[in-house]
Amino acid sequence: MGSIEFEHVSRRFDNGAEGLHNVSVSFPEGSMTFITGHSGAGKSTFLKLLLAIDAPTRGRILVGGVDVARLPRRRLPLYRQQLGAVFQNHLLLARRSVFENVALPLRVVGIRDRDIARRVRAALSSVDLLDKVNLPPRYLSVGEQQRVGIARAVVNRPRVLLADEPTGNVDSNLSRSIMRLFRQFHQTGTTVLVATHDRAMIEDFGGRVVELDHGALIRDNGASQGQSHA
Amino acid sequence: MREGSRTEASPPEQELGACAVERRRLLAEGASESEPEGQAVREANCRRARKGALAAGNESLQASASVSEGEGVQAATRREAAMPWESARRPLGTFFRDHVREARESLAFVAGSAGTTLLVWLLMGIALGLPAGLYILQANLAGVADDWRGSAGISVYFQPGVAAAVPQALSERLRGEAGVAGVRLITSDEALAEFRGYGDIAGAVELLGGNPLPATLRVSFAAPVSAGAAETLSKRLRQEEGVDDVVLEQTWLERVASLSALVERLGWVVALVLGVGAVLVTSSSVRVALESRLDELRVLKLVGGTDPFMRRAFLYLGCLYGLGGAIFAAMIVSLTLVTVEQPLAQLLSTYGGDLELRGFDTTFVLVLLGVGALLGVIGSVVACRQRLRNLDILA
Repeated sequence: MGSIEFEHVSRRFDNGAEGLHNVSVSFPEGSMTFITGHSGAGKSTFLKLLLAIDAPTRGRILVGGVDVARLPRRRLPLYRQQLGAVFQNHLLLARRSVFENVALPLRVVGIRDRDIARRVRAALSSVDLLDKVNLPPRYLSVGEQQRVGIARAVVNRPRVLLADEPTGNVDSNLSRSIMRLFRQFHQTGTTVLVATHDRAMIEDFGGRVVELDHGALIRDNGASQGQSHA
Repeated sequence: MREGSRTEASPPEQELGACAVERRRLLAEGASESEPEGQAVREANCRRARKGALAAGNESLQASASVSEGEGVQAATRREAAMPWESARRPLGTFFRDHVREARESLAFVAGSAGTTLLVWLLMGIALGLPAGLYILQANLAGVADDWRGSAGISVYFQPGVAAAVPQALSERLRGEAGVAGVRLITSDEALAEFRGYGDIAGAVELLGGNPLPATLRVSFAAPVSAGAAETLSKRLRQEEGVDDVVLEQTWLERVASLSALVERLGWVVALVLGVGAVLVTSSSVRVALESRLDELRVLKLVGGTDPFMRRAFLYLGCLYGLGGAIFAAMIVSLTLVTVEQPLAQLLSTYGGDLELRGFDTTFVLVLLGVGALLGVIGSVVACRQRLRNLDILA
């Protein structure tokens, strides 16, 4: 998929507030980076722009050399199929089983049923949830739901994994377990970007940290910390 | 595999490939297609390469092929950089699997919201039933006009109390005239007997104390006659002894034909208006279903679901709404026909015709189902188009 580059990216909202201000940063392919900052610093805006859910008012976001903000609408799904996204509120479908939730990205791209079954089981196995495969998410604990969200994010073998406060609702032990999962995916060559305000966890895991404040990039401890596996 | 096939390529194919690679390379380096110098250089390179390849033996061709392959890989890499995310071809099996699943889920949704679904079907049924009913009416009016035009004739009404010999004599004379196919004499006694057959009003005759009904002659022509000739004959018959009135049946048929044309136009207008209504009904109903599944749509969009993929379930839903509405419409029309069948049969029998309702056949039902399904799908497209476009994934 290639590297991710933010070139002088700004995002000003309709009310005049600036979600991001002139942010320039790049993430090599296969790197793992924490994006941190206090609440409202612009972490979610950063990930939304990368997911092409939102578009910058200025600057360019290049993924593999392609300006994602300029992608035609019909190409956006194809772009998003290359990404995996994990959110604090999981975004699981309450009426579907764990299996169906995790299988969703595979159905979207038209994978055969037998391959879907194999890959979903592999993804659920990687998050230790094989025994919950037929349950609806409401029967799972918050941590388990989060892990289902992670399984869904990685089941399609994304080139980039984005996580927005993935440990926001879980205890410290589970946070570490989730972060270890991200580290494992990163070790397979996936580019991982984790937005979090949990500084203790960042310090525990180390690695590259990009810090935002009021939409501006105030700290980047460098690409050398990016642990590239490209 | 690919390399092997490239190696086995014929010299002209390899040459074309080399030229194409050279052209892509120059384009990638920023050389403009319109630059005369750049183009001349490219063409010269291609000519040189072509000449060299033709002169060289098989070994050098293979070498050229491998160079070409290497450049091809570079070109492919450049193409990937331009648009690195190509969608894989969706296997036909999964395509049908997805459709079956969506259709099944839509059926489940319809079954799970029976109250709403029945209401939508009823609304759609009324919207489709009215134009469908008008179509049936028009088809039958047109059928009446078509059937009776060939046997158009004249009805001659005699004055009440005229001697029985008078209509009999005129009847004999008319039978001998050219162009007359038949003359049917209905005496006043026969008319009275027929009248008494109408249960509801038969008693009225008894109140009058005698037979007020005149003798009648029904004259039919062997072939369609012009309005002028029929009018001339009717004028002549009016002069005959004992004749009270002469009615040209053609006039009645013309009225039927005019009415048929009016109903047809009315039908189109009503169909258009109610068709839009049916689309709006489906659109609103599908919109409700869409809103109830917004969470799922957001996730689908997040994981790269295309609009057609997300829309599919709702198209099936609209289709089911339309089909159900069409079945309701067919039932409404059918019930209406059953209701009017008896009085219509009586009316037609007074004109010597048999009741043969037209239009409500297999083709009619199939077209009705098709139109219903189409309107349902259009309604779904309208509902999905706006909603999916503006769907905020993380709302």
